Amino acid sequence: MRKRHIKSFALATAAVFGLLACGGSDTATEETAAEETAAEETETTDAATDYSALRVAIVYVGVPDDKGWTYQHEQGVLALESELGIEVKRVENVPEGDEAEAIMEGLAAEGYNLIFATSFGYGTPMARVAVRHPDGCFQWATGAKFLLTTDMGGEYATFGDIPANLGTYFGAAEEARYLSGIAAGKASPTGKLGYVAAFPIPEVIRGINAFTLGAQSVNPGATVQVSWTKTWFGPDTEKESAESLLAAGADVLAMHQDTTATGLAADAKGAKWVGYNSDVAEAAPNAWLTAPTWNWGPYYIQTAKAVAGGTCPSDEYYGSMADGMVTLGSFGSSVDADTQAMITEKAAAIIDGSFAPFTGPIMDQDGKEVVAAGVRPELLDLLGMSYFVKGVIGSPKG
Amino acid sequence: MMHIPFRVVFEQRGETPRRLSLIVPLVSVLAALFFGALFLLATGYSVFDTYTNMFKGGFASFNGITDTLALSTVLICTGVSAAFAFQMNLYNIGGEGQLYLGLIGGAWAGIALGDHLPSLIMVPILLICGALAGAAWIFVPALVRSRLGTSEIVSTLLLTYIGASLIKHVIYTPGSFFRNPNTSFPQGRRVADSASLDSFGSSRLYPTFFVAVVVAGALYWVVKRTEFGYRINVISDSPRAAHYAGINSRRTTMMVMSISGALSGLAGAMLIVGPYGKIEPSIITLGYGYAGIVVAALARNNLAVIIISGILFSGLRVGGNNLQVTTDTPIHIGVMLQGAILLFALGGEAFRRYHIHIVRTQTQPNIKMSA
Repeated sequence: MRKRHIKSFALATAAVFGLLACGGSDTATEETAAEETAAEETETTDAATDYSALRVAIVYVGVPDDKGWTYQHEQGVLALESELGIEVKRVENVPEGDEAEAIMEGLAAEGYNLIFATSFGYGTPMARVAVRHPDGCFQWATGAKFLLTTDMGGEYATFGDIPANLGTYFGAAEEARYLSGIAAGKASPTGKLGYVAAFPIPEVIRGINAFTLGAQSVNPGATVQVSWTKTWFGPDTEKESAESLLAAGADVLAMHQDTTATGLAADAKGAKWVGYNSDVAEAAPNAWLTAPTWNWGPYYIQTAKAVAGGTCPSDEYYGSMADGMVTLGSFGSSVDADTQAMITEKAAAIIDGSFAPFTGPIMDQDGKEVVAAGVRPELLDLLGMSYFVKGVIGSPKG
Repeated sequence: MMHIPFRVVFEQRGETPRRLSLIVPLVSVLAALFFGALFLLATGYSVFDTYTNMFKGGFASFNGITDTLALSTVLICTGVSAAFAFQMNLYNIGGEGQLYLGLIGGAWAGIALGDHLPSLIMVPILLICGALAGAAWIFVPALVRSRLGTSEIVSTLLLTYIGASLIKHVIYTPGSFFRNPNTSFPQGRRVADSASLDSFGSSRLYPTFFVAVVVAGALYWVVKRTEFGYRINVISDSPRAAHYAGINSRRTTMMVMSISGALSGLAGAMLIVGPYGKIEPSIITLGYGYAGIVVAALARNNLAVIIISGILFSGLRVGGNNLQVTTDTPIHIGVMLQGAILLFALGGEAFRRYHIHIVRTQTQPNIKMSA
């Protein structure tokens, strides 16, 4: 009996480490990311603006050296620091839940008056802190304020009750997804594409649809088979999903995941790969086509300047390729010059507004018209997208 | 082969001297702080500032102490859940999964019953439903343990993964009862207003804290003072003696494991009536159920002491989080200090439980073994 007690302590000790290690679930394993943020080193900082009263903090769901989601935000923060000559407080590995509320409360109490939080799960805690600190400015990445109303499962009776010092920011990754779809459609002799996807939520569904439409624009019969992993970060699960898609005949894989597992699996089978988040061609150079990536710097700079000027943006900022929040990564060697030129041209059309990835007619999986010819869906419709377009194989319900 | 001229002998103490019960934990914590200080010095951080900030952030400020008590609410429940089973040598390490089921049980009651009953009735119903769901989740492990002797360590742990998948399923499947029907975003459906408690003032502390304390105290009394508690003690000391005394250990095993599961389920339901108000899928990344195992070990499975160890552990976590906020200490340092203090506190247990002495050994001539 005594001996079993000792075992229990060994177990508990193991549990201590398990527990302490479980903070950062949203990390990625790419080795390096070549993409540097567009931090213009020009000395354009207008001397008239005084940033001494501005105190900026950012809450990270992971760690900045994850070479994925948090890494991209860190690049943006570095750009902000050098542009305004300020120091930004980082709080890392913050679990999404009531502890996040305690941490953000602590930041507000310490006098930080502009706080960014980089994950969807920070919405409720951040809004609560915003109510208690009306002088602070709070910005919720990937958020959507309407989700905070009681109708949607939130805590505020009407949209107007949501604290006005709370804003959200995210971007139209679908634009770069569409462009990456062109590269994939061109690279696929069979027209059978695969997509390793995390969760059946509108953001991911929107990306799959944009990718599919891009691929079909150059490869009309192309299909995209979806495999759900139900995890953002799960190298093993991602690898299994990728291999199952390859086994089903896919010769190009795209992904909405945080690791390079999909790329490595594609590489091993001689297939091609479209990445996400960071520009990590060197993870699997032979498989690499390109990747939709994020550039948060310009948004962080513009928001900090607004707050320093006395305005807290309370809108829902939706960036795009036009403002540079969404970008397309470098091209792999198997993307030929013609395709590159075609993509560059489409990118220019997206940026000048003459083209939008979601333009009717758009058919759903059953061939029913969901967007009429010539119509561009409203942003809110895009943000809530829950159907797959024609040519996607799999269920948008997971 | 090199010969080591001494060996360390662990001699089990018959009776732990009372003074050691007090001295060992104290020395353990001091040793941990000393170890942490060496680490801080080596990495160039101020020892004094770091410890003061950690203490202030965890205990010595209004936000610090209320956040600590708030976190301890759940950890006391999962701690008592673990310890209640551990003291009978039943290793329910699946409290994490039973907590998930508590979320489901609590949210089910909070949604299904609607906004008709007063909070005073509604909240206890949610807590009971959560506890029942937690108990149901441990039913099969308890059954196979008591009937067939199947390891509950493996079965309860594996069920945790199934529980995590269940949480993802009820939130990410469109049309799920637990999912908000009004949006294509996967959000939990909020429980009735009457099933949600308000926190105290501007703090994040909920009245469920007192429920947790009362539950821990009541179970302490049950174990010390009732016949059921006596049966547990006899079985844990000697299953054979219990058998000869006519104690039905199968039934007691079922009872103890069910109560253990119910306590973790209760912790889950407390998250529903307290801070969350709905099933939030990120809860499965927090590890409160696993933390309960540590809390139990720190309290040496003493159900009353768990109230203290739960608060201390929470304070360490809240204070560690606060280090990042108030100083430039990186998260790794905070995590390292938390780990060191826990490790030393647990390691000190060996000194309390065993008389450790070093015995000189003589060099022996090599003895040739004949084949």
